[in-house]
Parts: sequence; C-alpha cells; structure tokens
Amino acid sequence: MPSTFTQAMLTMSAAADSPTDYVAQWKRTTGRKALGVFPMNFPSELAHAAGVLPVIIQEDREPITVGRNLLGEFNCGYTRNVADQAALGRLDVYDGFFHADHCIQLLGAIDVVREDESDKPVYFGQLMSSMSDDWAFPQVLGKMEDFRSELEKFAGRPISTADLARSIDIFDTNRRLMRTIFENRRSGDAALTSAQLQVLVKSSMIMDKEEHSELLRQVTASLNFVPRNDRIRVHLSGHFCHAPKPELLELIEDCGAIVVDDDLFHGTRYVSTDIGETGHPLEALASVYLRRNTAIPCPTRVQHEADWDRFLVDSVYASGAQGVIVLMAKFCEPHMLFYPELRKALEAKSIPLLLIETEHEGLPMESIRTRVEALVERIRRKQLSTV
Amino acid sequence: MSAPTLGKSNKIVIPTATNMVGDYWENLFTAKERGKQVVWYNGSAVNPVFQAAGLEWCHGEAFSARLAAQQLEKPAQLAGEEYGYIGELCSYARTHLGCAVLTKQARSEDENGIVGLVDQQQLASRLPAPDFFVNAYAGCSTGQQWDEISYRVFGKQVPIFNVSLPFLPSNKPDAGYLRGEEWEQASRYVADQLHKLIAFLETMTGRPFDWDALRQNMSYIKRASELRREAMALCRAAPTPATYWDWIASIAHINFMPAGPELVQYFADVKAEVQYRLDHAIPGVRNERYRLYFDGIMNWNKLGWLSRKFADADVAVVCGRYTHNAFWQEPHLIDTEDPILGMAQHYLLCPTNHGVKTLKHLTNRDCVDYGIDGIVFHASRTCRAFTNPQHLLAKSAQKELGIPSMFFEGDVADASFYKDEILESRLAAMLEGIDVRRSRV
Repeated sequence: MPSTFTQAMLTMSAAADSPTDYVAQWKRTTGRKALGVFPMNFPSELAHAAGVLPVIIQEDREPITVGRNLLGEFNCGYTRNVADQAALGRLDVYDGFFHADHCIQLLGAIDVVREDESDKPVYFGQLMSSMSDDWAFPQVLGKMEDFRSELEKFAGRPISTADLARSIDIFDTNRRLMRTIFENRRSGDAALTSAQLQVLVKSSMIMDKEEHSELLRQVTASLNFVPRNDRIRVHLSGHFCHAPKPELLELIEDCGAIVVDDDLFHGTRYVSTDIGETGHPLEALASVYLRRNTAIPCPTRVQHEADWDRFLVDSVYASGAQGVIVLMAKFCEPHMLFYPELRKALEAKSIPLLLIETEHEGLPMESIRTRVEALVERIRRKQLSTV
Repeated sequence: MSAPTLGKSNKIVIPTATNMVGDYWENLFTAKERGKQVVWYNGSAVNPVFQAAGLEWCHGEAFSARLAAQQLEKPAQLAGEEYGYIGELCSYARTHLGCAVLTKQARSEDENGIVGLVDQQQLASRLPAPDFFVNAYAGCSTGQQWDEISYRVFGKQVPIFNVSLPFLPSNKPDAGYLRGEEWEQASRYVADQLHKLIAFLETMTGRPFDWDALRQNMSYIKRASELRREAMALCRAAPTPATYWDWIASIAHINFMPAGPELVQYFADVKAEVQYRLDHAIPGVRNERYRLYFDGIMNWNKLGWLSRKFADADVAVVCGRYTHNAFWQEPHLIDTEDPILGMAQHYLLCPTNHGVKTLKHLTNRDCVDYGIDGIVFHASRTCRAFTNPQHLLAKSAQKELGIPSMFFEGDVADASFYKDEILESRLAAMLEGIDVRRSRV
C-alpha cells in the first residue's frame, strides 16, 4: 500500500504530466468551466472567484509539428509548443483563454490560439510592464476591474468581494504551504529533490487549489528532515513561463550538485509573495503584481529600483549556494537582455556561474553533464585551494 | 549565390538631399561639443517633442540600421558579444547596446585621460553619451526591456522616462483599425503620458516646453506625411514609378529627421519625381512583370542587394508593412493645433502593435489596392515582433485573395542570418507559380 506521501506525489505528478486529463476529469466532476491562462502574471485568484478552474498552460512533451508552420523557428520553445497545442486540438478542453503579460512571442502564440479556438473567448488585459511610474498602479487596478468584468461574462455569474477575498485566502494558503517547503530546503532540508519540488509547483498551476493544498499537507506531514550531504550547493536561476525538463534537474543533482535555492517561475518565483489580508481585494491584486517584482525581480518587467542581479547575489549569500546555474530558454529575449548584468554581478563577487540554454526539442544531456560536472569540480578545487 | 546586377533597378534619388541623413548624424556626433543635451530613445517617433524642447536626439534603432546599411555594424556587435549578449537576441538591440558599451568606454577613457583601444573614428563608437533616456516602444516587449538595459549599462546614472504603449489585441467585438473602445482608451492613456513626458523634459532642460514649436513641428510632419502618402498612392499604377526600396530609403527622413521646411521639401521632391515618372512612363523597375508585397522588417545589411535582386527577376516590390503601415501613416489624425492625441495614436499604430485580425485587414487591403501578385515574407531571425503573424498572414492572403507567398531568411541588422540561395530558389518558384496561374486565366 503506497504511503500517503507517495500517493499525494503520484496524484500531483499525474496532473503535472497530463494537465488536460486532469482538467477534463475536473470538468466532468464539477460541471464547471476551465480557463486556460498564460504565464506569468495573470491574477488566477479572480478566475477562481468566478467559480472556474484557472490553469496555467504548460509546455507539453509532444514534438512540435504544425506549430513550426505557425510561428518562426526562432520563437521560444514554449510559444511554438503552445501554437502546436492549439493547432492540433490539445487545448480543446479549455473553455476560454485569458492573458496579462506583454511578451511579444507569447502574443504571437495567442494569435494562433485565437485562430484555432475561434469559438472561444480569448482576452488580453495588458498589465503594464513599466512599474516605476506613478500611473502604473492605477493602470493595473483598472485592468483588474476589466478582468473581473470579462470573467463574470465568461463564467456567467458575478464575482463578489467576498468571493474574491475567499479565493485570495485559498491561493495564499497554497503559496504558504509551498513556501515553507522551499524555506526548509534553503535552510538545509534535502528531503525533496528539485524535480519533486517542480511537481509541487507545476501541479499547483493546474489543479484546484484546495485539493492541491490538501495534497501538500499530506506531503509535508510525511516528510522528515533530511540533512544535506556534501554535494556542491547551487542556485538555479531563470527559466520563465515554462518548466525546465525534470530530467535536466535530475541530471544536475546527479552530477554532484544539490539545488538549495532558485528563482525559477516553476519554483520560488511562483510562491514568493502573498496577497495578504485586504479590505479591497482588487487593490490587493494590483498591489501584489507590483510587490512580487520587488520581491523577486523579473527581466520581463521594467522597474528601475528592482535589480535582479543584486537579488541573485543576495540570494546566493543567504542560501549558502556555492555557484549559480542559469537556465535560459533558448530565444527568451528578456533573459538574453539581462544575462550580461547577471554575469557581471556574479563575476564581481567571484561566484561561479554556468549558463545552460534549454530547448523544447530535447537537450544534449551528455554535454550538459560534462559542463555541470566541470562546474562542480571547479567549485571543489576552489574549496580545496582556500583550505 | 548570384550577385544582382545594376541593370534593372531605377531608384529615386533626390539630388538636393543626398547628404541629409549623413549630415544629421555628423551633427549629432558633435552635440556635446556644442553644449547640447542628448536624449537616446527607441521605438516611437517622439522626436518632434525633443525638437520642441531644444534637445538633440539619437534613435537607437535608426543608428543600428545605418551601421548595418553601411556594413559598419561589426564593431558594435562584437562589443555587444564581448559584453555578453547572445547572437539570437534582437540584432537592433544587440547593435545599439554594443554602441552603448563603446560610448561608455570612450567616455570613461576621456574622463580618465587614458588612451584606449576604442577607435574614435569607428562609426559605432561615435554616439554622444545620453543625458537621459526616453522609452516609448509599442508592439515589441523587447523594446522596453532594451532601454532598461541601456539604462543599466550606463550604471543607472542617467535618468530614464517610460511611456507605456498598450498592445491592440482586438479583444472586443467593436475592435478594428482606428476604431472601437480599445482604440479610444489606449489613445487617451498614451496621450496622458505624453503630457507627463513633457513635464519630465521641462525638468531635464530647466525650461518651459515650447508648445508653439511642437505645433509647428507637427504641421511640418503632417504635411511631409501627406506628400509621402500621396506619392505612395501613385504607385498603384502599373508599372509602378517607385518601389518599396525607395520608401525604405526615405524612412530615416520621415522617422527622425528634424521637422521643418527641408523635410517637407524633400517629400515634395519625392512626390514630384514619382509623378514625373508616372507622367513619362518611367518605371521603378525596367521590365515590371510581377508586383510583390514585402512583409517584415527591413534587412538593412542587404538594402541595395535586395533591391537589385528583385529587379533582376523583373519584380517590382511595390509596398510593404514596414513602409506603408508605419511612420505617420495616418496624417489625418494629426490636429496641428492640439497634436498630442494624434501623436499618441500614431505611436499605437506601430505595425507590430496589432493583433493578427488587424494585420490581416491591412495586408489584404494593400494587396488589393496595389494589385499584388504575391507576398515575400522576410523571416527576420531576431525580430519576432514582425515575424509573429507572418504564417497566419500568408494563409489569409492565400485563402481570401488567392495570393501566394514565399518566406526567406534574413535579419534586421545581422548579416550572418541572410540566406541568399533560399531567397533565389523560392522567389523563382513563386514567380513560376504566378506565371502558371496567369496562363490559366
């Protein structure tokens, strides 16, 4: 009989591996709608308050075929995969699609979704990326009001302030439960691998939040503290919108490294910031959009006083990481633009760095292994030379 | 790879304006010596505002395009590469950021009195350092991030002002080109920010903004644009008196040249030349047999090359999204007495700022208006903003109008991505297909 931990992990893994199966089952059980949401800043709490299931559309494992004839081959793998999913009917389970982020490549993919799911609502409410301006908050608040109005139309029911406050509380609870696990990892708990942590986050992006929170409680109740061994401690950085392949995470930890912290979207970035108690839930949603970027700066946003490079160095010091592995999705322009600043900051502090570009179409695992092992050896040699 | 000849292309030359753009840049390089404040900006043509504020302005993309067109982009791109920018990044950004790196190095050496390796005579290193940045970038998300990075390359020591330009996705049922609630809301939102930009400039310059100068600037720009559009419309005739490459050659003028009588005269001369050719049956391509539409951003490294190559194949490239759906293209929107709203609306009309519904309308409309036989899509490797909708546009043109398309590989400012053999073979195939279709009619 599988343990509670194992059963909970299996349930979450199943959702993470096959979101459409989970969504289809949820729809059959509840009779309600599912909303496809595109990463990274759409306020899913609002959709939840409307009684629909908000699901962050994940990259799937299918080879991109038709999608290659819909977007350029130099678009990031996630957007080409989304186009492929739309064109081949793999998004049919969703009743509509909402989006908040201004990423030009993602907008191209969403135009494909509009073409191929033309009988379904597709709504883009752009949250301004420039966050240092006095007019940023009012604009974002205005967009939250637009989202509420459009979601009410989509769901066919009003969203009350009480509904929204309740949904915010449910989402905050879910984030807190995951954040505790991440904080434990940062403090030295090696009970879960980075691939397992990714399952927790990815399944949260897909599943009903209350169901997911219950599974998280089962996981944490079953866990005992496992001290780290002497593997080299690394921080994983970057990889926006979609998850790094689990086999890449496993390979990194198989090479003598242990991930002690991260700022991945399918990681700490997703759980970093609660909305908190509020008298005005829409204002709280607008506020958290701005606060989240201060907590963990994102290069897709423009906020002059939020420095991702300084954040990364501070995180490395706080977690005791000995090196940084930057995971960059190939063709991700915001990441390519900011990377030299990260490199400069880490080199100034003599923090070892390795850049790995990821692609949808598969990874050259053997050469990545060589490079990660070289990083580990380099750090070990440095350790020995300072003794 | 077969080199194009000089035989069939008949480009427009305005003798009185051959040095207009070069003189602009040479003048800008001396801005600091003349005690002028310099603003670096990208994207939207906010330069009439800068001009009215007594500033000198450097449009980053325009400089990258100039370097590429003169095959002088390598030093900037190398500097960018050494700084850490990956080759798949937008080559406009990579080139301009490389210039920023070179400019910063040059300034540092000047300040330290160190004679360094940066060659002051290299065009890429001659940009005067910015006194501040203004970012007003529609469409492409990279544009706003790029100026933020320029700001960081300069150590966050130079002030920056951001104008946010909403994308026009055609969410609502009433959404369309120049109409609908989405258009009205976005127009007002941007107009408000332009007023805030002007307040920022007053702070930066220490003097009140000259609204009369702005009104005058916009009067000149409106007239220049009207002349340009009138000249473009004459090219509906077959054979066309001017080609897409002629409009490309005048982008600098309409995009960032100072507003004034000289600018208006330039486009009056262009229109006069086009009219003269039309009246005297002088074609833009000596044996026009095919009329094509060019979609995508310009491949600046191959400006002359491409114009001659298409002409060699008896192809008149008549119009394109980048020339005909950009750069003050709706002058009727400009109220010269109160120009801010019309300016805001033009910034929203950047050709990458629309969802595919509007782009299909614009492309198909132009294909009908100009009697187009086929579409050439420039799949620019590092410009996803322009390439995003291209496959959907190709399908729409085929389905709605029966117009075939071809794609060729290149890039906006990185010559290494251009594939000549692909262009040659696909162009030949498309033209054969057009011949077959014609034979059946």
